[in-house]
Amino acid sequence: MQKSGCSNRSARSRLFSILIFRHSNSLVGALFGSLFLRYISPMDTLAKLQILSGAARYDASCSSSGSKHEGSACGIGNTSSSGICHSWSDDGRCISLLKILLSNDCRYDCAYCVNRSSNAVERASFSAREVVDLTLDFYRRNYIEGLFLSSAVMVSPDHTMERMVRVAETLRTEEQFGGYIHMKIIPGSSSELVRKAGLYADRISVNIELPSQASLQRLAPQKHKDAILAPMAMIGREIASSLVERKANHHAPRFAPAGQSTQMIIGASPENDFQILRLSQGLYKKMNLKRVYYSAYVPVSNDSRLPVLAAPPLLREHRLYQADWLLRFYGFSAEEILSDDVPNLDESFDPKSAWALRHPEFFPVEINRADYGTLLRVPGIGVVSAKRIISARRFSAITPEGIKKIGVVMKRAKYFITCSGRSFEKSDRPAALLRQQLLLGESSDPALPTQLVLPGIFS
Amino acid sequence: MNRYLYDGTADGLLSAMAWILEEEPDPEQVALAERKDTLFEDGFFIGTDATQAEALFFRLRKQAPDAAHTLYSFMLAEKEGMESSLLHFLSLAFIHGDKINGHLTHPAVRDIVGVAKKAGRELHRMKGLLRFEKLQEGAYLAKMEPDHNIIHPLAYHFSRRLRAQHWFLYDVRRRTAARWNQGTLQFGTIEQFTAPALSDDEKRVQALWQAFFKTIAIPDRKNPRLQKSNMPMKYWKYLTEKQDD
Ligand code: SF4
Repeated sequence: MQKSGCSNRSARSRLFSILIFRHSNSLVGALFGSLFLRYISPMDTLAKLQILSGAARYDASCSSSGSKHEGSACGIGNTSSSGICHSWSDDGRCISLLKILLSNDCRYDCAYCVNRSSNAVERASFSAREVVDLTLDFYRRNYIEGLFLSSAVMVSPDHTMERMVRVAETLRTEEQFGGYIHMKIIPGSSSELVRKAGLYADRISVNIELPSQASLQRLAPQKHKDAILAPMAMIGREIASSLVERKANHHAPRFAPAGQSTQMIIGASPENDFQILRLSQGLYKKMNLKRVYYSAYVPVSNDSRLPVLAAPPLLREHRLYQADWLLRFYGFSAEEILSDDVPNLDESFDPKSAWALRHPEFFPVEINRADYGTLLRVPGIGVVSAKRIISARRFSAITPEGIKKIGVVMKRAKYFITCSGRSFEKSDRPAALLRQQLLLGESSDPALPTQLVLPGIFS
Repeated sequence: MNRYLYDGTADGLLSAMAWILEEEPDPEQVALAERKDTLFEDGFFIGTDATQAEALFFRLRKQAPDAAHTLYSFMLAEKEGMESSLLHFLSLAFIHGDKINGHLTHPAVRDIVGVAKKAGRELHRMKGLLRFEKLQEGAYLAKMEPDHNIIHPLAYHFSRRLRAQHWFLYDVRRRTAARWNQGTLQFGTIEQFTAPALSDDEKRVQALWQAFFKTIAIPDRKNPRLQKSNMPMKYWKYLTEKQDD
């Protein structure tokens, strides 16, 4: 733990923010003493909820999920096998969990995070009981599938983790809560607490935060690689052994039955997409992770260690998610998608189209004969349409009209397939022309702001 | 082409189909419609037989569970004028089994599967969008106006999820209701609905949810179009978080 000047400074600035906060509450106090009393009198749940759900909404800290797709990951509770969205927020994202921090009162000072101790923001902390009641009140009214609890580091990792575990424990044992619980593990907390968390939660996750140790050291100096990787490995082992035990004995305790996920911040440090994808590939293969979430860095400070971004690199995040799908569901390897010579994903094409353009020898693919794995490699054919093609073929050969009805995105696929020997486009098109055609057809891709990185930042 | 009529009820439809599938050599060449009792209507009327109807459904569920699921969802849609397509779909399902749902190039299959999918989608959506309010005496009430008649499967879903609560579902347009209390699920109709009083802390909890809903959105990424396409405005009427819009 780095002490000395750093933490003094942060203590001062926190006091400063408290003063501002009191002021803004316009307490017309005469004496400092009465002001002080007002301050320590408890803040009401509504005010805390606003601070602590607001702090959880950005993806760029250990204090949040980073998952736009969390909906599909949950619902493994005792009641539902497919993800349920309970609402869609004003930015169009699915809301399925009560996603909050237990506290944003952090003693760490990670450069990329709004809650860093040196930042003057309003601080608040829930009691375990408050979180339990909120979760139950919301669940009973069908607002949510369950709870997603994270926290800043209050006092110490163990102190924080202990309170978080108490929330989950109360929900499960006292309240018989059967909904979904996802808990973040605070790096550096004891393995005993991590184990307990895994027994109560459906999913637990440790954030890897940044794609390399060097970046971690530079931007999150109080977090050590080992404090992140050790619990990850331990969770992986516990999940595996609980599965084995439960095969033998149905009543053996379940350990994080929905698995383990992690999150990393994109664009706050200089790693390229190839490094990132290889890291994810390793996490999927070696640590048995269920999901890796990428979250575009949202500029929150002028710290000189951070790049100056005009906007969060959303398009890059989007492309990384697409590449991640290729790793998990389409049978691609990181080395097929990128290489040392081409280390970054193409911004104008989705990674599958980019791969297809580099591999003309693989095409055209015959819709009525190709196997599942081959169909999956065609741009415009996804997991669902590939399966539909296979099942529709059993009745009769698929006709060109039939392909459209099945849901294949023809404006992309047409350059890469034949249908009973017939092609849809001249296949001898020069590559450059094909790229252009595809780009024109790409317009339905959601228009995302392009990232603007000033050169020479990472010198 | 032979033409048959039935009485317009779900049981009537199923028993007519059971009869035709049994007696007709090529059901795909047969038409089936609801009897409207007009002067010029022609066709043989097939009476309703609930045991026949049930037997047909169970037989299908055994031979082609996915197709039975499609049939079930299709019935939730209360669609009129698609009886012949349904008959053809069933006759194909008994020949090909579950593979039939993939035969989307056949017009009858496409129509039936399409309608069933829509009903299934709304059912899934309502599992998330239904909102309960706590009443004074401690029970919870959820009102809704879905396009499809989904109260049965929906109530079943909540009977597993909110087991420990006493609750009601109320389909405002169809005037049907479901009630779950201490392990029993009942269905009925409501002649006259008077809004019951809410419990004292209901408004407080609703305000908390509204606050959460507002804060969780990232301000510079507002996207009302995406929000509406995922959560069409027709559902907003009963959404707690949308009451101030
Ligand atoms: S530990 Fe770092 S990332 Fe987590 S809340 Fe504190 S400052 Fe933010």
